[in-house]
Amino acid sequence: MHAEYPCGRISRRNALYRFGLLGSAIGSIWAQDSKVAPGAADPQKPPQKAKSVILLFMCGGVSHIDTFDPKDNKFAGKIMDAIGFGDNLAPRKRPVIPCRRTFKNYGESGIPVSDWYPNVGGVIDDIAVVRSFWSHETNHFPAVIETTTAHRGRQFDWPTMGSWISYALGSANQNLPVFVNMGRPSSAVQLSGGFMGATFAATPFQTGETPIRDLNPPADLSVAERNRQMEALAKMNQEFREEYALNSDISARLKAYELAARMQLSAPPLVDFANEPKSVLDLYGIGEKETTDFGRQLLLARRMVEKGVRFIQICHAGGGNGSWDAHVDMATHEPLCRATDKPIAGLIKDLKSRGMLDSTLIVWTTEFGRTPWSQHDDKGRDHNAMGYTSWFAGGGIKGGTVHGATDEVGYKAVENRHYCSDIHATIVNQMGLDYKKMDFQYNGRTFHLIEEGDGPIRQIIA
Amino acid sequence: MQHTRYSFRLLFVIALSALPLGAAPPPKPTPWYLEPVKRPEVPAIAGQSVNPIDAFIAAKLKDQGLKAAGPAAKTTLLRRVYLDLIGIPPTPADLEAFLADTTPGAYEKVVDRLLADKQHGVRYARRWLDVLRYADVDDTMAAASGINYWRDWVITALNEDLPYDKFVRAQLTGYRDGEYTTINENGNRRRALPRPFDLFALGFIARGQVTRDGKDTKELQTAAVETVSTAFMGLTVGCAKCHDHKFDPISRNDYYAMKALFDPLVVKRVRLASEEDTIKYDGAYSDYEKKKAAAEKQVEDLIAPYKAKLFEHLMQMLTPDVQAVFRKQEKQRTAAEEKIADDYHVVFKVMSSGLKEYMPADLLKQYTTLQKASDAIRAPAPLPEFWAVEEDTERAKEPSYILTNGEPDQPEKDKPVEPGFPFEPKGTEFRDGRRETFAEWLVAPENPLFARVAVNRLWGWHFGKGLQPNPSDFGLLGGRPSHPELLDWLASEFVAKGFSMKAINKLIVMSDTYRMSSAADPTVTAQNRAIDPADKMLWQFPLLRLDAETIWDSIFSAAQSLDPKVGGKSFQVAGEEGGRGRGAQGPDAGAKSSDMQRRGIYIQRGYHQSMDVMPNFLLAFDADDGRAPCPERTRTVTAPQSLFLMNDKLVTDASARFAERLRKETNSDIPQAIDLGYRIALARPPSAKEKDAALTYVNADPSQLKGFTWLLFNLDEFSYAR
Repeated sequence: MHAEYPCGRISRRNALYRFGLLGSAIGSIWAQDSKVAPGAADPQKPPQKAKSVILLFMCGGVSHIDTFDPKDNKFAGKIMDAIGFGDNLAPRKRPVIPCRRTFKNYGESGIPVSDWYPNVGGVIDDIAVVRSFWSHETNHFPAVIETTTAHRGRQFDWPTMGSWISYALGSANQNLPVFVNMGRPSSAVQLSGGFMGATFAATPFQTGETPIRDLNPPADLSVAERNRQMEALAKMNQEFREEYALNSDISARLKAYELAARMQLSAPPLVDFANEPKSVLDLYGIGEKETTDFGRQLLLARRMVEKGVRFIQICHAGGGNGSWDAHVDMATHEPLCRATDKPIAGLIKDLKSRGMLDSTLIVWTTEFGRTPWSQHDDKGRDHNAMGYTSWFAGGGIKGGTVHGATDEVGYKAVENRHYCSDIHATIVNQMGLDYKKMDFQYNGRTFHLIEEGDGPIRQIIA
Repeated sequence: MQHTRYSFRLLFVIALSALPLGAAPPPKPTPWYLEPVKRPEVPAIAGQSVNPIDAFIAAKLKDQGLKAAGPAAKTTLLRRVYLDLIGIPPTPADLEAFLADTTPGAYEKVVDRLLADKQHGVRYARRWLDVLRYADVDDTMAAASGINYWRDWVITALNEDLPYDKFVRAQLTGYRDGEYTTINENGNRRRALPRPFDLFALGFIARGQVTRDGKDTKELQTAAVETVSTAFMGLTVGCAKCHDHKFDPISRNDYYAMKALFDPLVVKRVRLASEEDTIKYDGAYSDYEKKKAAAEKQVEDLIAPYKAKLFEHLMQMLTPDVQAVFRKQEKQRTAAEEKIADDYHVVFKVMSSGLKEYMPADLLKQYTTLQKASDAIRAPAPLPEFWAVEEDTERAKEPSYILTNGEPDQPEKDKPVEPGFPFEPKGTEFRDGRRETFAEWLVAPENPLFARVAVNRLWGWHFGKGLQPNPSDFGLLGGRPSHPELLDWLASEFVAKGFSMKAINKLIVMSDTYRMSSAADPTVTAQNRAIDPADKMLWQFPLLRLDAETIWDSIFSAAQSLDPKVGGKSFQVAGEEGGRGRGAQGPDAGAKSSDMQRRGIYIQRGYHQSMDVMPNFLLAFDADDGRAPCPERTRTVTAPQSLFLMNDKLVTDASARFAERLRKETNSDIPQAIDLGYRIALARPPSAKEKDAALTYVNADPSQLKGFTWLLFNLDEFSYAR
């Protein structure tokens, strides 16, 4: 009998043995031979529109009211029964505060976008804005779990979205990971393969010269010298390897060193932007102080898409509660919007001009929206999981669309409501998978990766 | 008194009938692991060994037609037993002395010395702490300050060979001996005073008190149940949190009865400072209070008028009736008005940002300066403290309930439970207290699970795999032992030896089985593999990948920079701050490492929802974060491990120090340096072929020795015990 630890966290050992793979403790590098592709054998499965996903996760909770969901200021001052966040679930009285942004209708679709996102406004005809998401959790950490794993709570160690894609599709490039994360997340959960195991976890990547930790040999070591070392290493290992030739660990070690070497070759060219023309760098805002960091991440994301990386997650302003957590003053959103506005628009334009937008799904989302009122005075906004906005572009999405609505002040989603897992279902669907068949067998129990919600948002799919 | 207790037998029948096996199997009266331990006859086997372990192993090998590998080379054995018992490889001097000693007792002398070495406790504490879910950080863990005193208690207990029953009893109750009360000459019985040191053993339970997102998770009790049951009973009682165990005779009621053992517990902060330090601290604190109050008053005086203005501004946002409430003195408000005031209270929470708009620029500047000065006045560094647990008398009076899905806020009020535990003997009275009574049952020599689970764990730590394959799950899904008689013999021997862990460790490492080669000759291997490819019967010693901490210790001991100090605060790995592109490290649990590296056990570990706690090194080499009990480490082989050994600065720097050591000790004589390098890194001289390869690489250039030492760290053999 194959023994396991029922009910508890799956032991990593079991996850690895189950798939007959060697796990990487920090990434999904090894998942290229994924033998499990739910939905793959299904003739009814949706057509694959997107080959890669770029998930832009704004950590801390973006105010939909100040970005993509404008509200009439005539309601400012209206005292409301507000349900606060966290422990403070008892109704409290709060006045609606005015929104200090101006909105402009952009593109042929005329979708209004706030003055904090002018460049994104410029590509709005490629974007489908969904203004009616809701979820249960109103505090950061549980909300990050819920919005990234599509499940509440910690009863089970649910995997994050990117690891589902690793699990279902595997890699299209055996020298690079399937699921990559850039930027600091709010929670380790955003990188975790959960009960699927470390094999499907995110591989953290950085822009700059060392995209993966310890990837590069010491600076003072020449290539020739490293090659000489590797030759000597093979010779010095030889007798031991012959003696333990039947030991699978020892043959795996050889492979691990080979893969490490391949990654040393394939990863640095990926992060080397020397051959990108200035016009492209400019498009992403690379070279401008405020936009360089995020711009580099997005350009690297495009280059990864070209190399077949399936799921690229970029966490913006993560760590702690996330910088988008504007309790005190909405003005703290401004630099964050500026840091992301131009790079996002640049990414969409760049992908489009290369003919890659149709096969690349971009999703912009966050852990919750923000309330129409403030906790303190009239400047900041509280957490609001009752109604918030996320948007989609490319990958078979109908651009220039607005779908769903919140109430007159932006508190609750009221029209075409979507539970947060509909984001996951839409991604999975555009990747050509049947969201209902995204299952995982573990401890004799079937875990459905999507349990709540209505499935893919058909109204925004082209 | 309602005390639901199902008939054990009946429950097992129900459990079995729930198995998806088609035809229901005939009910068994008792699972094997609950059968009393009977000391089996030692099989009679021809041979020199007098160690019963060898007799049991040989009997099985013979049964299955397997042939044992010969003994390991002396060099191999020495490195194996060093890495196993103290987790640090032998020095060239140790090696030389052992090779020179040709007396029959040479190996035993080494074993005795290693078991008496302080580093033995360090090595085995790390193994125990995996099982007992030690962590330095776990979101907001009440016991975080001073948690290392528990770690160090475990080290000390193992070094002193504290008998296993006392080891467990102390961590459950704070009393190593079962004497919880004393009687004085007047016949008055009172609580006995425990040994002061055993206070630190209670870190085991206190560690479970965790706050996440500002909320008490109430995990202390459930963590205690799940850790105690897996670690000491080998049972996955945790399944019964939500439903009756499907495979083992444990009901939901059992789970919550066991939880009730811990329900009255609360964490308690204990100051560890001396009287003198406490008095000194108080002086410093009074000083701080005075200065702080003065500085705050200056700020307050400055902003008071503007605060009033802001108040008026905020009032304008409210309806007149609400305004009226706020204009009343707090004490003059009616209850209804008070409710309104509370509702709107947050509107008035004055934020300094809002305040600024009402202040003229020069005052604002003054305000910022004063505020800064006030912030700079800090309380003196806190006195050392430790968090233990104690029983809260009020809580002890409250009934315990079954919880829906284990949610602390969802008690099923119609399902009260009494304190108890699985397989509790009829008529158990909780006279000495809940945990105490349970502990006495648990650690009793008659308890068949207690000794079996423990000796199996010890066996697994020496051989990489227990006789029972899942050391924390002796239940139906955990698999059956490969050598049930040997397991029982060891269990009875453990009891007979007064639960001495060192005695069992010695017995095991002294066996011929432990001293076997890990590479049987090719013909034997071919024949054996046809019968037992996984080496379940132990026809050769398994080749074992070293765990993270042992690799760490091996690297830094070769570089001669391993700090052998025992105990103290954990440290963060240098260069790990934001190392994985994941931002800052977890809460500072101790000093950063410097030139001297402390042993791997002291590397900060744990989990935090928004910070990196586990350094890349520990993650890459499969160390667990301590969130759940880790019965045995996974041993993966991955590219990130290779990248660490190839390119990480820690390894490059250590290679340079190792090379410097070789140059110094051999006067830069290259053939000698190569020879010494092998002896230090692998505890053996190089073969002719290896030496040739190394000589070719170094090419008579002493500056290439750091490449050579790098090669040694990257050899397969360096990361394995053969």
